[in-house]
Amino acid sequence: MQHINWNSELEIGINVIDGQHKRIIEYINNLIDMKDDYQKEKIAELINALIDYTYSHFAFEEALMEEAGYEYLYVHQRTHEAFTSKINKLHDMFIEGQDVGKDIGELLQTWLLNHIAEDDQSYAPIVKDKLSVIQKKDSGNWIKSTIGRFFN
Amino acid sequence: MALIVWDSNLDTGIEVIDNQHKRIVEYINKLDVAREMHSQEEVGRVLDELVDYTLSHFTFEESLMEEAGYPFINAHKKVHQLFVKRVGDYMQRYKMGEDITEELLNTLKAWLINHIRNDDNDYSQIVKENMNILDASKGGWLSRSLKKVFG
Repeated sequence: MQHINWNSELEIGINVIDGQHKRIIEYINNLIDMKDDYQKEKIAELINALIDYTYSHFAFEEALMEEAGYEYLYVHQRTHEAFTSKINKLHDMFIEGQDVGKDIGELLQTWLLNHIAEDDQSYAPIVKDKLSVIQKKDSGNWIKSTIGRFFN
Repeated sequence: MALIVWDSNLDTGIEVIDNQHKRIVEYINKLDVAREMHSQEEVGRVLDELVDYTLSHFTFEESLMEEAGYPFINAHKKVHQLFVKRVGDYMQRYKMGEDITEELLNTLKAWLINHIRNDDNDYSQIVKENMNILDASKGGWLSRSLKKVFG
């Protein structure tokens, strides 16, 4: 499976959301890169971080849609829930010892790309409009440096 | 287990917030050390301090965002709430005698760094601008706000 490269088509134009999507993609790329002989604890740590971050992102996004009065909020929430239950199932399988680390990465990759391109692009205009969001063009580049450098 | 090293990438540019974030990082590192030393008593003590301080920090940060009219304040608060609940669940398990320290540490480290770099970074400009205005018009407001939250 190929890496996802961030490109302008994935941007929805709300920096804080674009930043979250970039971080999720970075996690997915890390998961896809995992070598088969990786320690199970390391993979578990990465999966936990990825799932945790994705949930946090969903909460952020849903709060924005709700505040803006987005009419398809309910549908969008159901999509998030369906996804959550799928990922939880895979996570349980992983905990039971099945080798599904990469499956989680692949599921997330396929799902996320479609979800951003269709569902997220559709709520972006009303959120920008209702929450009078003024965005700078130059921000959102924080992802350039890797997370590893924060630890010794 | 790796300790967190402060990097200028984590700066929001708001000194009072950066200092609070640094303090949270110190607590996380202290927790890590206590775990390595297998000192249950110290783990319990640091955990309480960490939770207590983080809650105050969230309250303070939310008041700055509110004051500045940050458009995503409610979404940002939701993320704080979700995190508080998650940590609360860990604390519950800890009190039931489960050893959750390592798992909790991983969660804390990943969460904090992600949150500071993206979500906090997003409010920094509008809050900074508002703080400059407040500073010019109402001297001493920062120490008053800090006192209100941290006592």
